[in-house]
Amino acid sequence: MSRIRGTINSFRARLHPDEIAREVETELRFHVEMRTRANLEAGMTPDQANRAALQSFGDFDQVKSSCCEIRRSLPFNTSLLKMGLHITIALLAGAAALWTVNRPHDSPLSLLFQVGFVAVLTCLFVIARQQKPYRQY
Amino acid sequence: MAKSQAGLLQGTLDMLILKALSLGALHGYGIGQRIAQISGDALKIEEGSLYPGLYRLEQRGWVQSEWDISDNNQRAKFYKLTRAGRKQLILEERNWEKLAGATMKALRAS
Repeated sequence: MSRIRGTINSFRARLHPDEIAREVETELRFHVEMRTRANLEAGMTPDQANRAALQSFGDFDQVKSSCCEIRRSLPFNTSLLKMGLHITIALLAGAAALWTVNRPHDSPLSLLFQVGFVAVLTCLFVIARQQKPYRQY
Repeated sequence: MAKSQAGLLQGTLDMLILKALSLGALHGYGIGQRIAQISGDALKIEEGSLYPGLYRLEQRGWVQSEWDISDNNQRAKFYKLTRAGRKQLILEERNWEKLAGATMKALRAS
């Protein structure tokens, strides 16, 4: 159940990246504000309090982008899914090549179509293999 | 070497977040405060690093979040432990005890 929720969250984050970025920023700003208040109560000036809060928080933009990236990630290892996709494309390309070789070519257009089909599948396979591996958190 | 050290730290932070949330729902700032409180201020964590940890735990289904109103009437995101998170905490506590025990044994060996 939790993985389903995580997957839905991931797709939501991919579909609405700006909304997620705003949500993350609101959450992080709340933290900095709470720390600033605590610093003010400890006797710092407003300027000092804010500066110290930001300093103790660390790199705000870096944290924000890490959080957004984690929200986009899927809650399971995608490498098996990718391997399956690659094998399927390779099998389809092989089957299409066999079909092209064995089928009588009645016109140059149909031959072109069949060769084109094999070429498209081969390109898909090459592109799929070239994609950088998805980051897991 | 540096990589394994970072991994250990990340795992430890995750366990501390789960522990802090086992005592009740909290927002991110509150989690930092609770970790400091239960460790007797011995553990100083860069506050921002809590959030990637929290998001990671949420993606794994160990914590769940919802927006609510904080004590000072501001919108804040509150986190709570899920059943899977509670199980994970028990597991991590056991692993940690084993690791700490083994390390102490090795250090005391003459």
